[in-house]
Amino acid sequence: MTEARNPSVPARVGTAVRRTGHRIRRFFRLYRIFISQFLKRLVEYRIDFLTGAFAFFFGQLFNVLFVFLIFENITELDGWSLQHIIFIYGFSLIPRGIDHLYADNLWKVAYFLVRKGDFDKYLTRPIDPLLHVLMEGFEPDALGELLTGIILVIAAGTSLGLELTAAQWLLGAVAVAAGTLIYTGIKIIFASAALWIKRSGSLLHMVYMTSDFVKYPVSIYNAFIRTLVTYVIPFAFTSFYPASYLLTGKDPLFCVGGTVIAGITAVCLGRFIWTRGINAYESAGS
Amino acid sequence: MKIKAYLPFISGGIQSQLAYKWNFFGFFIGEIFFTFVMYYLWKAVFLHTDTGIINGFTILDMTVYIFVSNITQFLTGTDASYAIGEEIVDGSVSMRMIKPVSYDISLLFNEIGTKVVLLVLIMIPVFTGIEIFRYAQTGAIAFSASRLGVYLVSSILSYLVLFYFDLCFGFLAFVLKNLWGFNLLKGSIVRFLSGGMIPLVFFPAWALGILRFLPFSSMCYTPVMIYTGNWSAAQTLASMALQLFWAIAFWLLSRAIWNTTVKRLTVQGG
Repeated sequence: MTEARNPSVPARVGTAVRRTGHRIRRFFRLYRIFISQFLKRLVEYRIDFLTGAFAFFFGQLFNVLFVFLIFENITELDGWSLQHIIFIYGFSLIPRGIDHLYADNLWKVAYFLVRKGDFDKYLTRPIDPLLHVLMEGFEPDALGELLTGIILVIAAGTSLGLELTAAQWLLGAVAVAAGTLIYTGIKIIFASAALWIKRSGSLLHMVYMTSDFVKYPVSIYNAFIRTLVTYVIPFAFTSFYPASYLLTGKDPLFCVGGTVIAGITAVCLGRFIWTRGINAYESAGS
Repeated sequence: MKIKAYLPFISGGIQSQLAYKWNFFGFFIGEIFFTFVMYYLWKAVFLHTDTGIINGFTILDMTVYIFVSNITQFLTGTDASYAIGEEIVDGSVSMRMIKPVSYDISLLFNEIGTKVVLLVLIMIPVFTGIEIFRYAQTGAIAFSASRLGVYLVSSILSYLVLFYFDLCFGFLAFVLKNLWGFNLLKGSIVRFLSGGMIPLVFFPAWALGILRFLPFSSMCYTPVMIYTGNWSAAQTLASMALQLFWAIAFWLLSRAIWNTTVKRLTVQGG
């Protein structure tokens, strides 16, 4: 009898799968549209986009020069050679650059979209507001950061004669993906704060700046800073831990497993707080 | 120039800084993180030296250098290129032309107002902290009021060099629409070449020979070295004269750019 009224369990699962499939297809169709809109702007303001990427590229090079100047006076830093430090530094730029590429709009939410009342538009569209924010802000400046990171990692790896095992390649890729989620998750959490307090740019800036610590081996810091960047704002998992696994092959469980856990936690927490924020949101516009 | 006409700009600067106090505290804390990164990095570097002295710097000298150079950069930092760049792009620069006040001095006084707040809220506690640290490390009071005075004069000169350099840079917005990336690049260049990351004596000798005379050393290195007390009176005077030279040079350059572009400027809207 019940069979007649309710669809069978396999049928219900089938519907859910179809619906999810439909959603994913819709997401990619929309993303294509947003990207093509973006490409039109790119062609229009070609020089501006190039200069942004160029600026990020050269800005990073000064930090590399700084490391070279330091190593004029020493041969190793806390057990790491010049090449090791460059490798760690370069690796730290990769997840950071990928996040910068697709999630830059979160800064605008934090700084002024909510405060100026422009955030309302995201709520009136038939699409998830968070996805909309992310899709809209593709940032080619990030290519400069990303490119520096890749070049440094390859150059340092080659100079060290580093040969990665298949497992290291795989876990390295997993760590880059999860490290990117750490950045995005943390940015979502603190951009969401703007939904309550209207403007959270400096708060986000402050938190984001703790990532400065993880460009170098975290073992040089005191226990407080080490704990902070490992367990509280887990940026160390975007750089030093996975990079040291790639360099030494030691401790994959903590170095990559920790990155995966931190990445998933950050994004889930970000999503949760964002949803609460959307529900609490009151427009600042007129 | 009637100074009285510009005083409201100072109080405007003070008010806007107080209104957005969380904003600058956020940035300040971000700078503190950077300072500690440098501190721990150098601490690890000095562990690996045999003599404990690199290029004439002990770990204590380096610590004072790092903290003073970062606080100096925070105090002398300027947003002139952002301010003028934004006005050029959105057209409100035309309003500056119809007002009976000089555009650069009104901008300067506005920013000096924000600096007054920083001086009171941040500089006094930080310098007290640095001197307590020095005392705890050496057991002797190294503080000298006259040196602090010379440091302050030199910092003001640094600020003027930075302000007019930045203003010239902001005029690039007449040519380029997106200054954001260039501003970041300029920030990295200035920080690196002005001694904001590493004392200039750590550069190779040929680079130091050039950097000494470029405007960058006038932006940060000079006041910081004066504060650390490692410079002779002659070197202090020569470096401050160079600061004055660069401040005037960039002031004249900004004037020249402004006067030539204004004649050819077309503003849509604004």
